[in-house]
Amino acid sequence: MNNLIRAEFYKLERNPAFWALVFSVTGLSTLLHFLILTEWWYMSGTPFYQAGLVELNGLSPFITPLFFNLLVGTLAAYSIATEFSRNGVIRNQIMSGNQRNHIFLSKFTVFSLGSFFIVIVIPMVTALILATFFGNEHLLTVSQALFIARSYGLFFLHFLCFTGMVLFIAILSEDSGRTILFTLLLSVVMFAIEKLVTTPFIKFLYEQTFFYQMSNAFNHSLSSGEIAKSIVVGIVSLLIILGCGMFMFKKKEFH
Amino acid sequence: MNEYVIRTKQLTKTFKSGFTLNDINISIKKGEIYGLIGENGAGKSTLLRLITGLAFPTSGEIERFGSTKPNMIANAQKRMGAIIENPALFPHLTAYENLEVHRLQKGIPGRDCIERTLKLVGLKHTGKKKVKNFSLGMRQRLGLAIALLSDPELLILDEPTNGLDPSGIVEMRELILKLNREKGLTVLISSHILSELYQLATRFSFIHKGKLLEELSKKELDERCRKHIRIKVDNPARGATVLERSLATDDFEVLSDGTIKLYRYLDDVRTVSRILTENGLIIEHLSLNGDSLESYYTNLIGGNKD
Repeated sequence: MNNLIRAEFYKLERNPAFWALVFSVTGLSTLLHFLILTEWWYMSGTPFYQAGLVELNGLSPFITPLFFNLLVGTLAAYSIATEFSRNGVIRNQIMSGNQRNHIFLSKFTVFSLGSFFIVIVIPMVTALILATFFGNEHLLTVSQALFIARSYGLFFLHFLCFTGMVLFIAILSEDSGRTILFTLLLSVVMFAIEKLVTTPFIKFLYEQTFFYQMSNAFNHSLSSGEIAKSIVVGIVSLLIILGCGMFMFKKKEFH
Repeated sequence: MNEYVIRTKQLTKTFKSGFTLNDINISIKKGEIYGLIGENGAGKSTLLRLITGLAFPTSGEIERFGSTKPNMIANAQKRMGAIIENPALFPHLTAYENLEVHRLQKGIPGRDCIERTLKLVGLKHTGKKKVKNFSLGMRQRLGLAIALLSDPELLILDEPTNGLDPSGIVEMRELILKLNREKGLTVLISSHILSELYQLATRFSFIHKGKLLEELSKKELDERCRKHIRIKVDNPARGATVLERSLATDDFEVLSDGTIKLYRYLDDVRTVSRILTENGLIIEHLSLNGDSLESYYTNLIGGNKD
């Protein structure tokens, strides 16, 4: 599987869509943080605002599913779905003599790390660099650092579920356009359930999903029980999504 | 050691569309160039996808390198190289980079194999040219390079000359023959053009509408296509004796149904007829036969339209 991961990284490093996303997110994140740090733009009510970290308010869009799914969906569309549709390179991978489970997991690993880099690392690094540049080098107190570590730790776990789901959609749809469309649709449906549905039972079900837990990860006042629940939901969801993904990939026939 | 690289037994694949690849039994020996002939949509690519593990049979069995176990597919795949339909390439990468991706995913140590394979297929000097700017012939050769990268024992090529110009077809053919002769590579190659495969293959199978019509060696195919006088008489044994004694030839064969195929006197059918009659034989049928490759193929599938 090590070979497959190396091959996936090699492809990702040379993927124009990946670099387009890296440069776009770097530019956007820099601009956002610049506007916030120079007080040209004021945001309130964000998780960072509530934690007393207004300097990091520019990170808020990058933890909003409706926004970051565009980035993750685009990366999936142009790095995974195209392998099934446009040039059929997935056939070569299947015929390379590697176990299908390993192929799936290597794709998941590299795709998740690529998405993590775009959605989490770049905004965080640009935020810290700009905050330091604008004289906020002592930005984080111990409790704030713990909040960031805990929130991003939980967010990362649920983010893995999300990338697993997007990978699942990409493999199922075998088309870049449909991958972006379906992931966007999924996020819109989840957003609608969160904001519009009032039925207690559906609310209850929604709260057991990684979508809810992903938003809840940045809740400033999470109890230990809620953190544990979030971890359990994340791990169980991840196992189910990966299990389904591997099962589907193993049964899939390639044309 | 197993002399067969691939064997299929009653291999069947049914699709929702209704198309069925039905009861396919083929055997490919080590070192053979095995030609799979059929019209577009006959089921050639489906059969190749089943053999390479891209699709799964509905029933029947595939023996790859002596093993029929489904969990050994990955091992068998390591010993194969294949181009199914179009060569699968990354258009934004160079030829070298495309091979590097495949080298990594196959776990081949060292990059020497890339230079060697590029040289073998004549793409060594493509440098930084992206694959999207390659001609169709170059793409086909790069596809072949990918298939050959890991020094496979079995090379599977699905219509490898599709879209190639005449010189490209000749180049591809010579390369396949060279690999077969010099490295002892077993090749399974499909095409809908029999005359093209005839110059390459040592064994043939004909597929039509998902059914295997015939599997035969090149020698057998030559025999079938050789011009002859087809004779049916009331007493085939006596007919054979008459041909030997009166026409002084042993260049004929007696088929199991009693038909005699005479390969001499092709320009003198009347003499043959006269001699047989003079020797008291009743001629039930006498005709000049013999097909070109294409007409043989057309007749074969023509007789199996349904």
